[in-house]
Amino acid sequence: MKQILSTKYLPFISIFSLIALIPLVISKDQYAMVLVTTVLLYAVLASAWNIIGGMAGQLDLGAGAYIGLGAFTTGTLLTRWNITPWIGMFIGGFVSVSFAILIGLPLFRFKIKELWYALTSSALVEVLRIVFLMWDEVGGPTEKYLPGGGDNALYSLRFSTYIPYFYIILIFLVIVIYLNHRIRNSKLGFSLLALGEDEDAAEVLGVDARGNKLKALMIYSFIVGTVGGLYACLYGFLHPSFFSTEISTEVVILGIVGGMGITYGPFLAAIFLVSFREYLRAALGGELAGLYLAVYAVVLIVVALFQPRGIAPLFRRLFEKVIRSLGGREHESSAKASS
Amino acid sequence: MLDMTVQSIITGLMMGVIYALITLGISIVFGVLNVVNFAHGDFVMFSMYLSYMIGTALVWDAVQTPLITIPVLFIFGFIVYYLIIDRTLRQMYVVQLAVTVGLQIFMRSMALIIWKAQPRALQYSIIQGNIQIGPYTILTSRLVAAIISLIFIAGIAWFLNKSWAGSAMRAASDDLDMASLVGVNYRRTYALTFAIGSALTAVAGGLLMSFQQTDPVGGIRFGFLSWCVLALAGLGSIPGLIISGMIVGVAETVTITFFDPRSRLLVIYGIFILVLWFKPRGLFGRK
Amino acid sequence: MNHPPKLQVNNLTVNFGNLMAVNNVSLEVYPGEIAGLIGPNGAGKTTTFNAITGLIIPSSGKVFFNGHDITGMLPHKICRLGMSRTFQVIKAFAHMTVEETVRVGAYNRCNEKNVYKKVDQIIKLCDLADLRDKLCSDLGLAILRRVELARALATEPEMLLLDETGAGLNQTELLSFMDLLRKINMEYSITLLVVEHVMQMVMGVCSRIVVLDSGEVIATGNPESISTNPKVIEAYLGKRVPQCY
Ligand SMILES: Nc1ncnc2c1ncn2[C@@H]1O[C@H](COP(=O)(O)OP(=O)(O)OP(=O)(O)O)[C@@H](O)[C@H]1O
Ligand SMILES: [Mg+2]
Repeated sequence: MKQILSTKYLPFISIFSLIALIPLVISKDQYAMVLVTTVLLYAVLASAWNIIGGMAGQLDLGAGAYIGLGAFTTGTLLTRWNITPWIGMFIGGFVSVSFAILIGLPLFRFKIKELWYALTSSALVEVLRIVFLMWDEVGGPTEKYLPGGGDNALYSLRFSTYIPYFYIILIFLVIVIYLNHRIRNSKLGFSLLALGEDEDAAEVLGVDARGNKLKALMIYSFIVGTVGGLYACLYGFLHPSFFSTEISTEVVILGIVGGMGITYGPFLAAIFLVSFREYLRAALGGELAGLYLAVYAVVLIVVALFQPRGIAPLFRRLFEKVIRSLGGREHESSAKASS
Repeated sequence: MLDMTVQSIITGLMMGVIYALITLGISIVFGVLNVVNFAHGDFVMFSMYLSYMIGTALVWDAVQTPLITIPVLFIFGFIVYYLIIDRTLRQMYVVQLAVTVGLQIFMRSMALIIWKAQPRALQYSIIQGNIQIGPYTILTSRLVAAIISLIFIAGIAWFLNKSWAGSAMRAASDDLDMASLVGVNYRRTYALTFAIGSALTAVAGGLLMSFQQTDPVGGIRFGFLSWCVLALAGLGSIPGLIISGMIVGVAETVTITFFDPRSRLLVIYGIFILVLWFKPRGLFGRK
Repeated sequence: MNHPPKLQVNNLTVNFGNLMAVNNVSLEVYPGEIAGLIGPNGAGKTTTFNAITGLIIPSSGKVFFNGHDITGMLPHKICRLGMSRTFQVIKAFAHMTVEETVRVGAYNRCNEKNVYKKVDQIIKLCDLADLRDKLCSDLGLAILRRVELARALATEPEMLLLDETGAGLNQTELLSFMDLLRKINMEYSITLLVVEHVMQMVMGVCSRIVVLDSGEVIATGNPESISTNPKVIEAYLGKRVPQCY
């Protein structure tokens, strides 16, 4: 049993061990550190989206709302009551969950079209942005800087380099991808996939549409809310622009381009698209600041039209081919297990 | 106080008719294709920019610009349908919707690149001036816009009920299998529907330019407004649509008059959520 | 027929706007039988199924299952009580394999441990072993109907509603399908209510038949009495002749 377990998770463990070594190589290069950290951050968000979007088939456009809620909860707890973000970010996760339930509860009722959830979650981001813009005690139009750093770095989660953040986010990513894997192979996962395919058919097979979708939404919003807390510490300030429509749509694009319902799909998409975006931003600069989003949009549309299951299956085929040409037949089963 | 209330209600009612016109486009596309075009608000924004460009280049009045923008947006709708929407119809619903989100981001960032972030407005309109009724002022431009909107809504309603293409659209929205049995070519019907929905934003865009400015993120607001009107109206009732548009319009202007103008989206979102909580089929919906 | 009915439908009515799709329909299905529900196109058979299984809420009338009032109950709860169905217009899980599809149904009564056994059992029963790793989107309609039956069986129902599951089968397939129905009825003691246009099948497996026309019950009885009933013949001749393969 132990043996099987270790071969099954071998690719998983080796890939993440390799990633963990990255800072040793590039820690001097600040720009590269920012890039890999950003990639991991988006990979976490998109992998979490995979649960509600990829599996349950709900077009959730609310990631920006949950990030903002998590960030403001964590940041405000730290500045006002000096509560460490290590705790604050989980409280932020719960705040996000409660908002998510507030919109999930009415909209996941049986026979209410998926569309309304998509619209509501997308609008939630913009609405919360305005609320926090107007709510001067907590938000307001100017940045609110977080205290800490220096001696207090660990307590206030405010480090002067990206390396600690990199590892924290990497741990998040490992957890989220493992969670994805577990859900995908459990009753919840099968229920969600069935709901995503056809709600009527799933219901008459005994799948509780509302209950399962709510579970998926709660897991997703908790993760994103928690990441939001981290996000605030990473930037070192709070601003209503954290409630960002761009982030929400980017998360969706990564989830779909990567491959819906596929555990490692969003991570793959994040590696390519986020690096590409950062490259574009560096290469084109201010004048064409909006261009990367246009490119993202085109990638989304092209993938949706010509490769609707995302890029992950392509990579899987490539991977299997490479393994086979190396002559390692015994690895084939492990390649499968990693999906 | 009372005067201000009445004044803002009057303004809101007139704005509401334009919102109803914008929503009509979403509504017929949703009814027939069962897809909501997330980019619809950005179509409005795009139309407004087109009106702006035509208005400045040809020194036309804003209300004349739809003469050109209607055909442009109609063809644009056709192209978008055949190029993108048509190919996603057999895919999962998430993907269908997400593609229109992609379209939305694309249009918004293109607008940012082409027209930059600063708002644009046309110089003046021939329908300037106001009508004074007792203590109340009615901006002529808004009144004209509301009346033209009503005419277009009525025209579309007539088209849906009386023409063959209209019945094909209704048939396709009721039951696609039956519709194809009686010889409705669903792709052409879908394309026509999408193109009409798109052309309606050209009308609205021209009318809005006669008294408003446009900016690249304006699409968010119009998208928002029309979803709320759609949620209120449900599907299938044109008078319901107009009344819902007016409710949203009045809610908006009253908020602007008496509270913080920034909070107008909050009020609209509040209505939106409440309707979805308590009347998920809309106040007037049949389907 | 001294048992209380397994399924009892009382004065069921469903309107779509002005259209009375189902009008004051009452029927009973008794434990252990295979009952048939037939009628010309548009008679309201599918709509009756939808109202029984909770996919639409009837305008009026009551549905009892094992004596419980299940009118307007959510479909998954009805399934937990022991009733599932198939669909006339296939609702396949396109991106899932046959095995995964069956597993969705199996979770209705199984936990993570014994779900595999259930899936294997059902796949064997429905003769899908060769196809178990195929994606549903790669399969033909006739096989998808069998997959739908399989996933419904996996929920371990006491009663199954089959909506034209035999449509589009050739003669040999039809005969083996009829055997399968008899088998699940006898060996697993599952009560069946089948909607079918293929007369050979209805007459072959059903012990009792209910005939619908324009939303109303026009006849009830055993196969022989139905096939000679003048009202039934008129209903069919006036519309479309039932397909005979
Ligand atoms: N969702 C719906 N909205 C409006 N009318 C409907 C709807 N579903 C069914 N109908 C109508 O209700 C009537 C009964 O339809 P139903 O599908 O129940 O018939 P059926 O007996 O199953 O026919 P078939 O043999 O063709 O399957 C038909 O006239 C149909 O057009
Ligand atoms: Mg039917």
